[in-house]
Amino acid sequence: MTDTVQAGRRKFFDLARPSRQHLLGYILIAPAVLMVAAIIIWPLVLAIDLSFQQVKIPRLGGASRPFSVSNYTWLFSSEEFWLACWVTLKLVVVVTAGSVAVGLSTALLANNRFKGRTIARLGMALPWAVPEIIAVVIFAWMFDTSFGLFGWLAIQLGFTGQMIPWVSSSTAAFWAVAITMVWKGFPFVSIMCLAGLQSIPSDYYAAAKVDGANVWQRFRWITMPLLMPVLGVTLVLTLLWVFRDFSIIKVLTGGGPLRSTQTLSIMTYDQAFQYHNFGRAAAVGVLTLVICIVASLLMLGRRSKSIY
Amino acid sequence: MRRTFVQSLALYATVVFTLAMILFPVYWLLVTALSTTDELYRLPPTFWPTDPQWDIFARVWAAKPILLWLWNSMLAAIGSVALSMLVSVSAGYALSRYSMRGGATMGMFVLTAKMLPATLLVIPLFSIFSSFGLIGSLWTLVLAHSTMIIPFATWMLKGYFDTIPKELEQAAMVDGCSPVGAMVRVVLPIATPGLAATALYAFVLSWSDYAYARTFLVNSPDNWTANLGITTMQGEYVTYWNDISAASVFIALPIIAIYLFLERYLVGGLTAGAEK
Repeated sequence: MTDTVQAGRRKFFDLARPSRQHLLGYILIAPAVLMVAAIIIWPLVLAIDLSFQQVKIPRLGGASRPFSVSNYTWLFSSEEFWLACWVTLKLVVVVTAGSVAVGLSTALLANNRFKGRTIARLGMALPWAVPEIIAVVIFAWMFDTSFGLFGWLAIQLGFTGQMIPWVSSSTAAFWAVAITMVWKGFPFVSIMCLAGLQSIPSDYYAAAKVDGANVWQRFRWITMPLLMPVLGVTLVLTLLWVFRDFSIIKVLTGGGPLRSTQTLSIMTYDQAFQYHNFGRAAAVGVLTLVICIVASLLMLGRRSKSIY
Repeated sequence: MRRTFVQSLALYATVVFTLAMILFPVYWLLVTALSTTDELYRLPPTFWPTDPQWDIFARVWAAKPILLWLWNSMLAAIGSVALSMLVSVSAGYALSRYSMRGGATMGMFVLTAKMLPATLLVIPLFSIFSSFGLIGSLWTLVLAHSTMIIPFATWMLKGYFDTIPKELEQAAMVDGCSPVGAMVRVVLPIATPGLAATALYAFVLSWSDYAYARTFLVNSPDNWTANLGITTMQGEYVTYWNDISAASVFIALPIIAIYLFLERYLVGGLTAGAEK
């Protein structure tokens, strides 16, 4: 009698028993689930809750304000929000297109066989390893209004008669941000595309050559279709990065001049930590998240699984 | 594939030209650091200083607490990477080996967590941390950076564990190993390159953060991280570009060194998710 009880008890803790294997799985995943609940889910719920309260600076545990949609009605009727949406859209399109163009061409270049290829590949993706803030320091000086290199170059090349007011002109500030972001963002595209290119079997090209396909035809009918899955994911990840980036814009232009570089991310942050409107800030942030989710689901569709 | 001489020449010329364009900003950072103030505020710009000011590095190192900033960045990165890896390794293993209810939901969640803007999460985190009296402490960064690292690390590690055949553990268990023993003694050693890649990538992620550091630590200079410290050198009216450039070199070096020497691992981490 005692033997069977003991045997039963021993078996209860025996995680090797097939029926207990799931238990071990749950035990192993529990710490991560708890952490994620504490530092991601709970804050996210708080943020959504905040966005429905008229609150300036929230106190945890303080009496929560009554439910109100005033933050959202303020947002949708404010010009600032629509301007931020427009700026974000422009920046996302320009930077993503620029990064893909430069990234794909450098990847195609580095995919050739030549001496020193390893070093060339390292060099071409080096900006990836330069921290965003340092990239901003470099470009802020190159875009300096009085003594910047880019302004001087523009004069030498005959684009303009005098130095470009990068800080006070809306258009110039936007392009300064965009160029900095492309320099920081293209290496990721390049790295991903190169990995994709190298997984294409060289037999395909050899076969196409035998059939008389020229360089363009090989690129159009072999490289592009086989690269598409990688390129699609990369595109979405780059897009999300531009959408949510804070440090480059904040340090380079601060969102100015006249909010011409204020994206939704910058608006979220400034509403909270500059104007102390936490409720409104949370509302902008929640909308940004919703837009990100909808946009990437639309772009990836059924392939959305491959993103993680 | 044989190239003609002209084709080779064109290829090398293109490569060199592209590299020069891409690396020019990094070169310019060095030139700016080494130039005298006179040379900086002059047009046309000086492309290589006549008398390179190599002592600028020593001067800036002495004038600004750069070592402290680097140390703080290091602490925050090591703390968040250690904490995240601890929970992510076991979670990634569980997701890879056990079919669990909610596995697909977890996948969707990781996807969403990747889209979570730091500027949104920083708002509730600020309230939470201030009610726990944590504002100004490096612990805020350890926790905040973990919000970025845990979702991606878990999924990346699951991918690595998926590539290790289950038969290895089954063999170990037949030989009398417990399931936990099989994981620790058999699977983890094989997954070491994957673990290293994930940890390295997470380290870079933490090192690059600016938004969280700026929000939580701006009023405690003793805990400033490298990125936050650098931005405080940007003056409202005058910026000493040679000083800030020299300091930037110090702060960019660790990540660039990691990149140059361990690129294989980092790139493995980057591309792991996309090639499936």
